[in-house]
Amino acid sequence: MTGTGSARAPTRWPRRLVTLLAFAMPVIFILVPLAIFLGYSFFSVDHGEIDYTLTVANYVRFLSDPIFLPVFWNTCVLCLSVAIICVLLAYPAAYFLTTLKGRWRYMLLMLLMVPLLMSYVIKIYAIRSILGLNGFLNKALVSLGILQEPSSLFVFNMNAILLTLTLLLIPFAILPIFLTLERIPPILRQASDDLGASAAQTFMRVTLPLSLPGVASAASFVFVLAIGDFLTPQMVGGVSGFTFGRVLYSQFGTAYNWPFGAALSVALAAVVVTAILLGERFGRNRGASV
Amino acid sequence: MGFLRRLQQIAMIGLGVGLMTSAALAENLRVLAWDGYADQDWVKEFTDTTGIGVDVVFIGSDDEIWAKIKGSAGKDFDVFAVNTAQLQRYIQADLVDPIDVGQLPNQKGVLPRFRDLEAVGGVTSGGKVYGIPFCFDSIGLIYDTDKVKPAPTSMSVLWDPAYQGKVLAYDNGEHNVSFTALTLGYKDPFHLTDEQMAAVKEKLVGLKHNVLTFYTTADEAQQIYQNNDVALIWANYGQQQVKALQKVGAHVAYVNPSEGALAWLDNWVISKGVRDKAAAEKWIDFMLSKKIGGELSERTGFGNTVTETDSANPNDKLVWLQLVEDPLKRSDLWNEVKAAP
Repeated sequence: MTGTGSARAPTRWPRRLVTLLAFAMPVIFILVPLAIFLGYSFFSVDHGEIDYTLTVANYVRFLSDPIFLPVFWNTCVLCLSVAIICVLLAYPAAYFLTTLKGRWRYMLLMLLMVPLLMSYVIKIYAIRSILGLNGFLNKALVSLGILQEPSSLFVFNMNAILLTLTLLLIPFAILPIFLTLERIPPILRQASDDLGASAAQTFMRVTLPLSLPGVASAASFVFVLAIGDFLTPQMVGGVSGFTFGRVLYSQFGTAYNWPFGAALSVALAAVVVTAILLGERFGRNRGASV
Repeated sequence: MGFLRRLQQIAMIGLGVGLMTSAALAENLRVLAWDGYADQDWVKEFTDTTGIGVDVVFIGSDDEIWAKIKGSAGKDFDVFAVNTAQLQRYIQADLVDPIDVGQLPNQKGVLPRFRDLEAVGGVTSGGKVYGIPFCFDSIGLIYDTDKVKPAPTSMSVLWDPAYQGKVLAYDNGEHNVSFTALTLGYKDPFHLTDEQMAAVKEKLVGLKHNVLTFYTTADEAQQIYQNNDVALIWANYGQQQVKALQKVGAHVAYVNPSEGALAWLDNWVISKGVRDKAAAEKWIDFMLSKKIGGELSERTGFGNTVTETDSANPNDKLVWLQLVEDPLKRSDLWNEVKAAP
């Protein structure tokens, strides 16, 4: 660090003030609230009043109550599936984008990002109408003869959450993959070509390995966004799509049990942080070998 | 010196504008209400006659009101609407201020059954008035007249396997436990014993298997009804929902179940953090005028406390909502029901 050098020079104190401010911002607005939140998870609630004596009861309840861990686990699996599907769909799209020349490439990229400009809630409402029994999807499938009669498979269950989250989050997967693909120097592919590799070989042994950092960050992005979402499961999940976000939400709204909600959030935050670290680590390792 | 005078003028105008806006900001009444309780034209009329600006925030559930008021210790709002069952909780938590009924001339003109506030139950405490009833409705059952025959008379139809996957239920543990308790024939649905609670839970898990999904707002229920095959709706928003559905051409009817329909009664209350109490009382009195009451019923289908409406059928058994034994317990039970396989 350069800290020792600047400490010795008294004329540099305005710079140190700036440094202090730069550190103060994240500390005040991110670390302190998180610490307060962590603190809350050790309190309890009694008849609508928060009891400030320290206890680990919230964590014990989370780990011992038969309803929370299964829901937690199912939610992790669900969001992992969303991440995998998003990456599988986003990769070809991003790859296709990099094959385009000049202006078209960015025009199309912009078009793919347009859904992000729309309100999140409106998108969920729209998707729910599409998935409904009298919705567009069912009408299309029936008129194409794929289904005999409208199916309720697509809405108010886990499938619906999976479908909706995938649709909502796919732009977040396309962008990082596109960026890493774009950064691969074309010379590498040309060299592989010159050395006699087929297009498939070049892709498998040059392009794909070099793009894995983007895939990793795309997957961790999508996973983190999906697992933090409670609105999508609430609106399209119905009676069987009960997710951890919904449990968490109910602790803050319905139950007014902030301490327990905070404890559940800490558990969720642990998963989120792990996902981010994994994504970053994986990305960096691969990146270093370029 | 023309220039100096001009400068002075500008300064005065600037000061004037500054004072006006700061006055407007200080006077603005902060109202927290359900959709339909503070329509724009009423707010405008109120501001025009009293000179008091109003900021309205709309909410979507009882829990949201509690979280908002409790979270800010009442400091974020001056006046809010809350039902009789919820009000006691606010009184106990010291989040609401007593109301001087003498400041509400229109309260003298309300319908007889709402005139004696002590007799209404739930709006007074220790001889002080905390809530002014202004709006009520039953929580009945909406059924599709083409799909449900004969017309149902009890909530027990929600468990009928004939309507599997065609039932829309409401996402709220408290009400669901209460109405299920009524369906099971329990006398006091708001204070259940442990055995009764267990029986209700089992019954609710059974209901879950008949349910398409749980909704939160009336608009949401309508959207789901239009895009799916729905036969029965547990109508948390009663008449409001029926009206809206009929407006879009749905063949639906409404019934108050014979075992007794839960019914809510909404009141205007003044929060502990009120900035200008006189303004808050003016708002309440304004809402109790015959014109607003009539328009409220006309637009929403709810009953109001100042003019006679069709909402309260004398033959229907209405069970006014009360504070339940333990909201936390019911909310946990509801999560267990939702998580049950």
